[in-house]
Amino acid sequence: MSAALARLLRDPVSALGLVIVLFAVVVAVFAPYLAPYPEDAYESHLLQRLRPPSAEFPFGTDNLGRDILSRVILGTRNALVVAVSVVVAAMAIGIPVGLVAGWRDNWVSDVLMRLTDVFLAVPQLILALALGQLMRPGIETAMVALALTYWPFFARTVFAETRRLRGALFVDALAGIGARPTRILLLHVLPNALPAVLVRATIGMGFTILTAAILGFLGVGAAPPSPDWGLAVAEARQHLPEAWWFPTFPGLAILLLVLGFNLLGDGLRDAADPRLRRSRR
Amino acid sequence: MRISLRSALLAAAMLALAPAADSQSPAHAQAQQRPLVWGDNLPASLDPHALFDVPSQFVLLNVYDGLYRYQGNPPELVPWLAERHTVSEDGLTWEFTLRAGAKFHDGSAITAEDVVYSFKRLLAMNRAPAAAFRPVLRPENITARDERTVRFVLSEPYAPFLAAIPLVAIVNPRAIQPHVRGDDWGAEWLAANDAGSGAYRINPETYRPRNQLDLERFADHFMGWSHNQRPIDSVRVRPVLETSTRVLALMRGEIDATDSYLPTDQVERVDRNPRTRVARDESMRVFILRMNNRRPPFDNLDARLCFAYAFNYQGFNEIILKGLVIRNAGPNPNNLWGNPPDLRPYNFDLNLARQHCDRARAAGAPLGREIEIHVQTELEQTVQAAQMFQADLRRVGVNLKIVPNTWAGITSSTTRAETTPDMWVHWVSTYFVDPENWIGQMYDSRFHGTWKASSWYRNERVDDLLTRARTSLDRAERERLYQEATRIVVAESPDIWVYNTVNLRGLSRRLQGYRFSPVGSGGELRSMWLEN
Amino acid sequence: MARFVLRRILLALPALLGLVVLTFVLSRVIPGDPAATLAGDAATPAQIAEIRAQYGLDRPIWEQAIVHLRQVLTGDFGRSVFSGRPVVEEIAFRLPATLELTFAALLISTVLGVGLGLVAALDHNGPVDHLVRLLSVGGLAIASFWLAIMLQLVFSMELDWLPLRGRIDPTLGAPPDITGFLLLDTLLAGRLDLFWSALRHLVMPAVTLALPGLATIARFTRSGVLEALQKDYVLYARAAGYGRFRLAAIYVLRNAITVTVTQIGLLFGALISGAVAVEAVFDWPGLGTYAVQAILSSDYKALLAVTLVVGVVYAVVNVMVDVAQALIDPRVAEEMS
Repeated sequence: MSAALARLLRDPVSALGLVIVLFAVVVAVFAPYLAPYPEDAYESHLLQRLRPPSAEFPFGTDNLGRDILSRVILGTRNALVVAVSVVVAAMAIGIPVGLVAGWRDNWVSDVLMRLTDVFLAVPQLILALALGQLMRPGIETAMVALALTYWPFFARTVFAETRRLRGALFVDALAGIGARPTRILLLHVLPNALPAVLVRATIGMGFTILTAAILGFLGVGAAPPSPDWGLAVAEARQHLPEAWWFPTFPGLAILLLVLGFNLLGDGLRDAADPRLRRSRR
Repeated sequence: MRISLRSALLAAAMLALAPAADSQSPAHAQAQQRPLVWGDNLPASLDPHALFDVPSQFVLLNVYDGLYRYQGNPPELVPWLAERHTVSEDGLTWEFTLRAGAKFHDGSAITAEDVVYSFKRLLAMNRAPAAAFRPVLRPENITARDERTVRFVLSEPYAPFLAAIPLVAIVNPRAIQPHVRGDDWGAEWLAANDAGSGAYRINPETYRPRNQLDLERFADHFMGWSHNQRPIDSVRVRPVLETSTRVLALMRGEIDATDSYLPTDQVERVDRNPRTRVARDESMRVFILRMNNRRPPFDNLDARLCFAYAFNYQGFNEIILKGLVIRNAGPNPNNLWGNPPDLRPYNFDLNLARQHCDRARAAGAPLGREIEIHVQTELEQTVQAAQMFQADLRRVGVNLKIVPNTWAGITSSTTRAETTPDMWVHWVSTYFVDPENWIGQMYDSRFHGTWKASSWYRNERVDDLLTRARTSLDRAERERLYQEATRIVVAESPDIWVYNTVNLRGLSRRLQGYRFSPVGSGGELRSMWLEN
Repeated sequence: MARFVLRRILLALPALLGLVVLTFVLSRVIPGDPAATLAGDAATPAQIAEIRAQYGLDRPIWEQAIVHLRQVLTGDFGRSVFSGRPVVEEIAFRLPATLELTFAALLISTVLGVGLGLVAALDHNGPVDHLVRLLSVGGLAIASFWLAIMLQLVFSMELDWLPLRGRIDPTLGAPPDITGFLLLDTLLAGRLDLFWSALRHLVMPAVTLALPGLATIARFTRSGVLEALQKDYVLYARAAGYGRFRLAAIYVLRNAITVTVTQIGLLFGALISGAVAVEAVFDWPGLGTYAVQAILSSDYKALLAVTLVVGVVYAVVNVMVDVAQALIDPRVAEEMS
């Protein structure tokens, strides 16, 4: 693993990804201390609406007179929390499904994989939109919706790995000495599938941030006054073209963070297992 | 700031695709006058009996005619397909006499039987526009006395009956009948076709729901065209969905008119543009923050007063909305009758708010809990109002949570008090011009379960006053009753009334003859013409 | 081969059936009571209940589900609750708009993606290679709705080069309607002015939508070309005096097809999802805006149909991709059987 890390860091592009992600984590953790006006998460200042960037407000102010820089900084935490929770929840559903379905060829396996196919048969965003609207719209709902639509990707990945590994010699040997299937799956198959899951998870983080932003933009994600980036872009639309700074900076923040995760994911894939280089998304 | 952005953009643009020359077009374009391009929203259905919302009024006013019609501002009820009406002493029997010579688009004459058919269709379909009539009008009580006389016998006296008459389009049964399927009254067909007599007719060939509608002038309209020397022959309705895009499309000359709720931030810009202007007209559309009076803490008068004093009316109306609205003290719009002349609006006073909140807390009102305010995500003003309110309420120790929702989502939850949100934000527009449309249907407890009465306010005295006002035909008495009811309701502060809307419609300067009326929001095309 | 195709189609069926059930369950729990909205102002709870009965919304949910399934299987998607029109008809107006946009985006992705991938491979580990790599990762990181707004800001609002929104200039009149594909219809009608207008309207939405696909295809082309350049026969050909560029060009034609075909299946879902955001920004009258409208107005019939249509299109594309792959490379077919 440390050799893999060294390989990862030797590649400038993936090192850049790691730096971006670490930077975002630091910003997220210390957001209230880093933001020049942390109270602008909810406060409004009607007299300073839509000011262009200046020394006082480096990114300008928004339609309620709030400092956009502060809100971009505060929004980092939201974005990361959403991404991590969604990916973890999706893993919690997808990995067991993949393991069980991949282990044996029986009707359970068939049903599980057909179910996966059903979820994969609808474009994720449409499904998330419908789900998001179905429960009460809000960031929690958006997260549930995203997790419910992203787990099939983990199921597929783990399924493929399990299929590959169950024929492996060491698995046969373990079964031969009487190890229980759950034990084999959890202690032996899963760890071997981990690199693939890790890569999928990293890319999933970027993907989740993007999709959550779209949901926020379409009005079924984060709710005001949340400093959510996608929401900010939506709020900015009716103030264009005058307030060009209003959508620009939150959008750049999305771009940067997703870029970080994607670069890192790429690097991880190459470092962890060159064989995976061809599978994407 | 602007110049540096522009030059940076120019440099960046070099990378982009080849600039396309302006398409000042070949053969077809300039042969005749450019048609009017109307950018306001289209209703989901063109059937005038299926829906009743602001977009559907456009179809109602241009493609169809009613017995009476509102004209001008303040709106005046003028005889339209009917030339006069009579009402019996007891207020139950109404007779309308039709104008002679009025014709449908297919050339057939409009008869009393057609009016009867139209009202029966409306009641049988039982969709939105029927709601005003269902409680007082039964289908068998609508009859044709002769070719030109229609009689309605109401089950109970209902003063706003005449005010609601313009809601009902008279449709052509001969056009609809061949397309009736089962018991649908031709609804599927009429949703995309024309059975009217109005000043404009629909071209069903090019109709695309919510997206594209072409109208052609009906030269034989019964009102004639002598009022307009150069009426517009061809109108293309091309809705632009998103507000800011709509404004830009107007300024670039892609459309001639926006919707009538231009964001106030855009007004100056549209006015400054040499091609465009903003028509400002005081309407009758009250902006309200609702409180669910059944649910603590809003069952406590002090809690409601605390909220009423904590809203920054001045800041919202004058700064965010740039003074392009008019403060409204109570539920009825200022410019309607039935308001006490000395009605005082609540003002923004955080000290008073704090005192009332303290008193409410002392009485056990749960002001410490998170209070939810539901906004309509696609209407930015509802979000802005909630956000501003949230910041100010925080200063009096109240925690407001904004919940994004939609009109459909909220109105379906207001059918029961338990599911109605703590608070929500909306407007009450003009469906018909009568206090019944506002205070009558908002604060009489008989309407509990409808979205208009969603504050679940109940006061027996008010119920009694409103019932009497509804059934009396004496305008002076109604005026007095509504004034008294308004005084009580405002003192009890069941909701927070913020402003009365000034409709703001962006128009191209070549468009002339725009006449505003709160009903239809100025979308009546008959009076318009184009300058080159 | 025929057996493979048949098997592939049969495999897709249970997924579609599951989709019908899933979407039904989803749609019936969307908040918002269509009956309440239909009844409109001042309707009493009794009136709302009447409307609910009229639409069968008061029956037990399993009964509604069976009715729905039977209708869908006979091709009857019902009528939009709000417009009263058959949903199929409304979708028929809108599907071509989305497909036109999607095809244009695919075309751009493929042409530019293959080109960039090729250039990058030829400059392996050079500055161009790194730049393309950064670009291709960046292309997948950009939020489509944000890019769309930025393009509007620059090319429409500031520079005024391209139209802001819509599919065609409304002042030119209603476009001919033959196939629903505007570029095709305007040409068939011989209206070059309309064709030009439609093309200009298509540029920004298509470019925005193309970016993620472009990035993906560039990556795969790059690695494909790199791999190929190290193959024995290529080394041999090089020894025989063929230039690197010429080899790459020959190889790329074959490889590009394989890569693109493989990726289309994956990309198509992303494209349709992306189309929702892009259509929303550019006011494109396609299925995406229709779906959003349906959700906002709780029009469950419309939402059901859109999801199903998208699911079917998606399934068909995937079957086609698999078959095409099998045709190009018979080993795939064996592996899958």
